[in-house]
Amino acid sequence: MSEEQPGSEVGRFSKHKFIIMITVSIVIALGLTFISMVLYAWSGAAQVDLSRPGYQSVRKEAMSNEKYDGFSATGSIENKVLQEFEDMYGKQADQVLGIDAFAGDVLSDTTLKIDDPATTP
Amino acid sequence: MIRRFLTPLVLIAAAVFFIAPQVAAQSSVPMTNEHMERIKDNCQQANRTLRQLHASDALLRVNRGQLYDLLSTKLMARMNSRLALNRLDASNLVAVTANFDRTLGEFRTNYKVYEEQLSATIKIDCQEKPAQFYDAVRESRELRSKVHESVRKLTEYLMEYDRQFKDFRSRYSASKSGGES
Repeated sequence: MSEEQPGSEVGRFSKHKFIIMITVSIVIALGLTFISMVLYAWSGAAQVDLSRPGYQSVRKEAMSNEKYDGFSATGSIENKVLQEFEDMYGKQADQVLGIDAFAGDVLSDTTLKIDDPATTP
Repeated sequence: MIRRFLTPLVLIAAAVFFIAPQVAAQSSVPMTNEHMERIKDNCQQANRTLRQLHASDALLRVNRGQLYDLLSTKLMARMNSRLALNRLDASNLVAVTANFDRTLGEFRTNYKVYEEQLSATIKIDCQEKPAQFYDAVRESRELRSKVHESVRKLTEYLMEYDRQFKDFRSRYSASKSGGES
């Protein structure tokens, strides 16, 4: 009965350690890439990423991320301060209130011309 | 023994993964041949419209998201904090802000689901699968209306915050002038 030499497996390992290291590195890199892509899709970042293909036409129209200091969270409360806040709030809110976003029938059958001819007047 | 069951298991798995989606892909509403022909005739134009909508909605989402975020974090939250630090009653404003933030989360989720559906719709070959395309467009339409509903609620909360703030301001001014007299 031949006895396995304890050093033989270690010897085999040390012979191929470079290849094993490369393989493990690639597997780890692929795994981390997969996790990143899952997080990218799951977190909703994909929906706001205008660098995606298909968004070239609208990329330049995105609001620039200019620094906006906003209202100070500390300090006293006076009529002047309340007026200042009201002006700031009104200016930003007007940009939102002016347009009814995601409204309309842009996806209606009639607009896309995929309606049933039998029901179309 | 395991091999005896292997073949049936593989066949069942194949049925689940390959056949079931085909069954699900058939339109839930029976379509006439004329209807399918109309979809095929206008397929390219419809697809083009969907792609344009996909891009314009993405832009709208980004711009709106930035504005909502700014209103919430740099204005509403800061005012609430400042009022609290000055020991003034801002409970109404805080409640509206909390509702706004919760609805903002719903807006983000609803848009994500809608965008995924719209992307999937655009990928469907409407020449080969007009019924599936039609169903997918209908699903996208419903999801887009949910996004619109979130936007409508956010607008209401913004107006409510404005009303509550003006109410607070008038009470504050009255108490100040009452205190000074």
